Amino acid sequence: MRAEIRAFVVEQLTDMNYDVEGIDDDATLGPAGVDLESLALADLAVRVEDQYGLTFAEEESEKLALMTVGEFTTMVANRVAGAPGDQS
Amino acid sequence: MSVVITGMGLYTPLGRGVEATFEALCTGRSGLARPPADHPAAGSLEVAGLLPAIDPRSVSSGPDTRVLDRIVLLALLTAADALADAGVEVGRDVAAERAAVIVGGVGGLSTLETQVLTRAARGRAGVSPYLLTGVLPNMPSARIAIRHGIRGYSSSVGTACASGVQAVADAVRLLQTGEADVVLCGASEAPLFPTFADTFGNARALARGWADPTAASRPFDLRRNGFVLAEGAALLVLENAAHAAARGATGYAEIAGYGVTTDAYHPTAPRPDGTGAAESIRRALAGGRVPVAEVGYVNAHGTGTTLGDIAETTALTEVFGANGVPVSSTKALTGHLLGASGVLETAATALALGRGLLPPTWNLDDPDPACPADHIRKEPRATETGYALTNSFGFGGQNVSLLLARATRPPT
Repeated sequence: MRAEIRAFVVEQLTDMNYDVEGIDDDATLGPAGVDLESLALADLAVRVEDQYGLTFAEEESEKLALMTVGEFTTMVANRVAGAPGDQS
Repeated sequence: MSVVITGMGLYTPLGRGVEATFEALCTGRSGLARPPADHPAAGSLEVAGLLPAIDPRSVSSGPDTRVLDRIVLLALLTAADALADAGVEVGRDVAAERAAVIVGGVGGLSTLETQVLTRAARGRAGVSPYLLTGVLPNMPSARIAIRHGIRGYSSSVGTACASGVQAVADAVRLLQTGEADVVLCGASEAPLFPTFADTFGNARALARGWADPTAASRPFDLRRNGFVLAEGAALLVLENAAHAAARGATGYAEIAGYGVTTDAYHPTAPRPDGTGAAESIRRALAGGRVPVAEVGYVNAHGTGTTLGDIAETTALTEVFGANGVPVSSTKALTGHLLGASGVLETAATALALGRGLLPPTWNLDDPDPACPADHIRKEPRATETGYALTNSFGFGGQNVSLLLARATRPPT
C-alpha cells in the first residue's frame, strides 16, 4: 500500500508540473526539497484527501512543508491502514 | 506631452504580428471559420474567430499552469511580442518603477466554467486552490508584471467591449500626468466556451445561417444579422514621446486624444440617437485639438448588429456631417474580440495612417440605407490624412474613442 501511495504522490506532483524524476524519500516537500509553495501543498493535500478519503487537520496541513516525501507517504499509509498517523 | 505607440503585440484570428494583420485587412483574408467538431463551443457557435490551441506549458511553468486561462496565455505571448516590437526591455530601457501595465477583458471565465463543472461532478476536490490565480481579470496584467518586472502602476479594466481601448485611454492619462514613461496596455479575451457562446446566441446577437463562415460578419450591410464571436489579444506599448525619441524610437502613430462617455440608457442597447458615442468622439477630437475636417478615417466599432451599426453611423453623421468621413469596420474579417477588438482596431488605424492605406469593410455588398456613411468597401483606399479615429462601445453603455495622429505630425 505504501508503494502505491508513494506512486500516487509522485504522479500528482508530476501533474502539478513539478520535476520529481528520481526523487528520494528524504526530500522535504517544502523549500530545499520538492519546493512546494503553500498553495501547492494545499493542492497536494486535497488530491490525497480525495483519493484516500482522508481529512488533514489544519495543524497537520501547516506542517506538511517540513515533512519529507517518505514521512508524508508513511503518514498517509498509516492513516489509510487505520493506524495513528505520524503527526510529529 | 505627446504619447506614441512604439510597439504592438497582436495575436488574433488574422494571425500573429503586425504584417500578417495588416496584410489580411487589406487583402480581405478572413480570420473566421466554422469551429472544428472537437472544439468545446462547436455546438454553440456556427462561426467564430479562432486561434490555434496553446499548450500552457509552452508559455508558463509551475503548479498553477493547469488553471491558467487562455486570457493569461495570450496576454503573456502578446506582451512579449509588443515589448520586443518596441525594442523595450524593462530595467534596461525604462526603470521598473516607471513602467506600467493595464490589461482589460472580461476575465478567465472559460476556466471558471470548467472548474464549476468539475466541482459539480467531483465535489470540492475538483476545485484547484490555484483557480483565482488563473482567472481573475487582473491576472493578465499581474502575470505580465511578474514576467517582465514591471513595478509601477498596474490595473485591469472591465468595461466590456470597450475595455481594451479604455486601457489605452488610461495609459495615455498615466503618461500625460507623468506617472509612467512606458505603459503596456490593451486587452486579452478568450470567450469561445459554451456558456458564453450560448448567452450571446440566446440573445440573438450572433450572426447565423451563413453557409460561408467568412460571409457571416458584415458590418453596415443590409443582410447583417449579428456579430461573430472571436478570441485574441492585442497589446500596445505606449510611450512618452520624449522618452521614445531619446532612445531613437519614432513609433507607429501618436495617440492625440481620447474620449470616454457613458450612455446611462440601457444595459445592452446603445442610445438610438448615438449621442453618447458622438460625445466621446467630440472629446477625443477636443483632446487632440484637431478640427473635425482634419480627420480622414474612422475605424468603426461596427460589429454587424442591427441597432449598434445604426447608432454608430448616426453618431458619425452628427459629428462629421453626412458622408463626412471615410469609414470602415475591420470586424468583417476579425469578428468581435470583445475588449481586445478596440486595441486591434487601434493598431489597424495606426498602421493605416502610417502606410497611407485605409482597409475596407469587407462583405459590405449592399450598404444599409439606415447606416449612411462614406463607406470604404471592396478595396483599400489610399489616403494622405494625418488623423484618424477609432471607436469602441461596450455593454453598459460604455463609449470610448481614440484620436490617432500620424507619427510625423509637427509639434504643437
